[in-house]
Amino acid sequence: MTTVAMAADARHEAADRARTGIHIDNVTHSYGARASGRGVVALNRICLDIADGEFHALLGPSGCGKSTLLYLIGGFLPIQEGAIVTTNGPVTQPGPDRAIVFQNFALFPWKTVKQNVLYGLRKQGLKGEDAEERARDYINLVHLSGFEDAYPSQLSGGMQQRAAIARTLAVDPKTLLMDEPFGALDAQTRRVMQEELRAIWGRSRKTVVFVTHDVQEAVFLADRISIMSSRPGRIEHVIDVSLPRDRGEDTLEDREFIHLSEQIWRLVREQAVAATRGR
Amino acid sequence: MATVQATSRGSLKAKRATPRIAPDRLVDITVQAGVIVVLCLAWEFGARVGAINPFLLPSLSDVLARIWADAMSGTVFVDLGLTLYRTLAGFLIAAALGIPIGVLMARSATVRWFFDPLISVGFPMPKIAFLPIFILWFDIYDTSKIIMVTFSCFFPIVAATYAGTTGQDKWPIWSARALGAREHEILWEVRLPLALPQILTGLQVALPVGMITTIVTEMLMGGRGVGGSMIMAGRFADSVGVFAGIVEIVFLGFAVVRSLEMLRARLLVWHPEARK
Ligand SMILES: Nc1ncnc2c1ncn2[C@@H]1O[C@H](COP(=O)(O)OP(=O)(O)OP(=O)(O)O)[C@@H](O)[C@H]1O
Ligand SMILES: [Mg+2]
Repeated sequence: MTTVAMAADARHEAADRARTGIHIDNVTHSYGARASGRGVVALNRICLDIADGEFHALLGPSGCGKSTLLYLIGGFLPIQEGAIVTTNGPVTQPGPDRAIVFQNFALFPWKTVKQNVLYGLRKQGLKGEDAEERARDYINLVHLSGFEDAYPSQLSGGMQQRAAIARTLAVDPKTLLMDEPFGALDAQTRRVMQEELRAIWGRSRKTVVFVTHDVQEAVFLADRISIMSSRPGRIEHVIDVSLPRDRGEDTLEDREFIHLSEQIWRLVREQAVAATRGR
Repeated sequence: MATVQATSRGSLKAKRATPRIAPDRLVDITVQAGVIVVLCLAWEFGARVGAINPFLLPSLSDVLARIWADAMSGTVFVDLGLTLYRTLAGFLIAAALGIPIGVLMARSATVRWFFDPLISVGFPMPKIAFLPIFILWFDIYDTSKIIMVTFSCFFPIVAATYAGTTGQDKWPIWSARALGAREHEILWEVRLPLALPQILTGLQVALPVGMITTIVTEMLMGGRGVGGSMIMAGRFADSVGVFAGIVEIVFLGFAVVRSLEMLRARLLVWHPEARK
């Protein structure tokens, strides 16, 4: 049966836990000069433990700090307060063990789709035909074959997004950080990509942190879901998704899936309403 | 999958069709060529009917005949070659100095503190005013002319490179970091390609400036080169010779500027400007 564990305040027993997975310990982040009072507190005392091999989804109203949290895990922003520790130790800088798909794709505009994918492979020391073949595989995976030699400016938003996904997946990272990676896709392509991602995750035991606005997407993909409050972002609820590991078309009709989706939808709505009321 | 590709295939059509000149582009070229032909005809017949004193404005055919004669004797090629050599040498040295300095200014506060005031003062200054000093320092031959050209090309190139490499979009840089690039690799692999459109704009501004500077220094210092020959012709009241020089400069300038435009189109195939 569904077990919904709601922790109004996620506790951090991270300190004396085995250091595998991702441990976010009391992280606060603000933009701009906080001392002058003009800064924006984006994240407020975030505590979250993500287990090794877990598929974790982050839900929350726009502007609550989901991207910021992902950038901190990725090592792109300096950690101001608290700590983030992964299997490889404390996060201080980006590393290829934590690959990211950015919300705005961030492709290299002067490289073709294939060159974009090859860039990360070359950085891993993969050369020649091996690299080419791997690039081809991942371009096929996101259904972009035929567009290998197109530049990002020649592609639609959804195609750019898929190219970015291919580039990130191709380096086969231990941890995948994905910031609304299917946001620009139509419903049908989105469904195909969700199943593809779920399959890759099932095969390779990656740890995935997946930001989305789409409740059904979160429930379909994730093992656990965090719901964040509006700014300054806090983790309000952490929910276990106890659906079977094998998920497909019929999962969507599963009673538990529907029940869970509704329940989470209500919790997300509460936060969104609070956000529009300006708290 | 099939549907996904079918719906998005159209966006590549423009690229596949490039070898053909598009019809509206053809109209463009025809109209522009037409304007030039009309102007040339007006010049020719204006001079022929004697509306203008042929000494003040010799007919186009006389001028072309002179260029032809000079081409046969080879002097046109010596003049054009020398002028082109001085322009390009000065321009390339300016690029070799200006691009790295512009990048360093964007990357290091110390370098910026040093060069920023120099460039603020130097950019608007009439560079040709330094010519007497350069002549004193470097004599009147090629060296002082090339240094003069370098000096005037340098400022637009540094300024454009600096503008292109500061405040760059962070996303491609973050992408490169995420994929395992080191900082020194990011400079070559991300920052420079990102700044390329602006660097090229700087070069495109600098090249005609370099050309003008070459001609003016040649005029002031005499000797061979298109500018020097024009001054000589002027001294002998040879107005056909002066106009021959002007026509030569027009062609040389057009060829040089056009080559740089073509280089830009090649280097920036990825840029949205290539698909306007
Ligand atoms: N570079 C920045 N400078 C200043 N403030 C910023 C910056 N980036 C984000 N913020 C602020 O931090 C807050 C969190 O931003 P973030 O991008 O993490 O939100 P998000 O949850 O990803 O939103 P969305 O769902 O719309 O992508 C926002 O309210 C925003 O105002
Ligand atoms: Mg975001």
